[in-house]
Amino acid sequence: MEALDFHCQLILEEYREALPTLEKMKAQVLEQLREALDRNGIIVTAVEARIKTEESLAGKLALKGAKYATLSDITDILGARIITFYTDDVDRIASMAEKLYEIDWENSVDKRKLHQLDSFGYSSLHYICRVPGYDLRFELQLRTTLQHAWAAINHDTGYKSGVEIPREYLRRINRLAGLLEMADDEFSRIRTEITDYRRRVQALVQNGKLDDVLLDGDTFRSYMQARPLDALNKRIAAINQAEIQDAPLIRYLRVLKALQCNTLGDVSRLIKTYEEDAYLLARHQLGNTDLDIISSAVGLQNICIVCILSSGGGKIGLERLFDALNGHNSQNTALAEITYEQAKNLPFMKNQQ
Amino acid sequence: METVIKESGNQIIAQFIGRLDTAAAVPVAEEVKPLLEASNREIILDCSQLEYISSSGLRIFLSIRKEAAAHGSKVIVRDINADIRQVFMMTGFISLFEIQ
Repeated sequence: MEALDFHCQLILEEYREALPTLEKMKAQVLEQLREALDRNGIIVTAVEARIKTEESLAGKLALKGAKYATLSDITDILGARIITFYTDDVDRIASMAEKLYEIDWENSVDKRKLHQLDSFGYSSLHYICRVPGYDLRFELQLRTTLQHAWAAINHDTGYKSGVEIPREYLRRINRLAGLLEMADDEFSRIRTEITDYRRRVQALVQNGKLDDVLLDGDTFRSYMQARPLDALNKRIAAINQAEIQDAPLIRYLRVLKALQCNTLGDVSRLIKTYEEDAYLLARHQLGNTDLDIISSAVGLQNICIVCILSSGGGKIGLERLFDALNGHNSQNTALAEITYEQAKNLPFMKNQQ
Repeated sequence: METVIKESGNQIIAQFIGRLDTAAAVPVAEEVKPLLEASNREIILDCSQLEYISSSGLRIFLSIRKEAAAHGSKVIVRDINADIRQVFMMTGFISLFEIQ
């Protein structure tokens, strides 16, 4: 590299003196961005920041040092980058950054909007930001994970060798940019549609139109948010004045499907049909113990047990239930037998004798 | 009641020997403290020699599970006898733990 002129040497000196401030600014920016993302509930792939190395700055000055009067004219000495999952989030985070920092609009650029109708390639949003209390500015890059992957691979293939890449390869790389742009849009669209679907399901659940909602992982979670088993669990807890610990119920989805529950309406009817007997089973099991802690799964578990036994599923049905809940295990046979013995004299078993 | 904590690769194994009743729960809660701080580990609660568990014992298992989840660790309850399995079933704890 050519020796830098006196003007550029001064800027480099200025850079060395500014390094402690830049480190402080970097830590502050990272903390502010992470905190703001958390506050806005935006989950991203990465939040990162780097200070330009002296070597890299010297290279930049060697090329276009005359353009800069002082270090503060160089806007990317500190660079921060947020890599998002979705294109929509780039805009949300941009709006978040506008509230956090003073944006230098003249030097900020939305590369997503720069492409011609028939061109594809590097796309990201670059904001030049001023942090209150600092003279230096920093560059904030916002891009999606796919844009980041494309940019990183393009950089690797295009610049590393120092050899100019033939047009044919550049065209293929740019074709991929178009493909990834479509994939980004599709991911965003899918997310929006899933969110809409969840809202529709929640509305149906709230309006009690449970027969219109097919049972799946999403709808089951939505339904359980309404806590339809709370009353039963509280009755069971009252047997021994027990505390209730929240437990995930998603393991029961398979069981409910095996019990012919195809809609949330079916689940609701299953609960209503068997909740009294589920309580009696719990009272019979827990009444002679001093166990004063239960999980919130106990109500649904007992409903499933009662449903299986009432419909003649017997010990084999119980064993399958325990296998489904907790994986196949030789001890599930013994557990099924014990449960069957405990339940066999309860009222709901009278038709099974 | 005795608690033996061993480490093997990425696993931390807590072996419970005897009856984990209310009286035993206080010292056991102290002894399992290293498990509560483990990050990104597989925590095995070896119950092959555990004869009995009370509500206090279940609370210790629960606190291990909660801390493990917060620290990215996974808890596996291993080799529980039929009586303890029944306790796990009656209380619905069977849905809280991976039991092998």
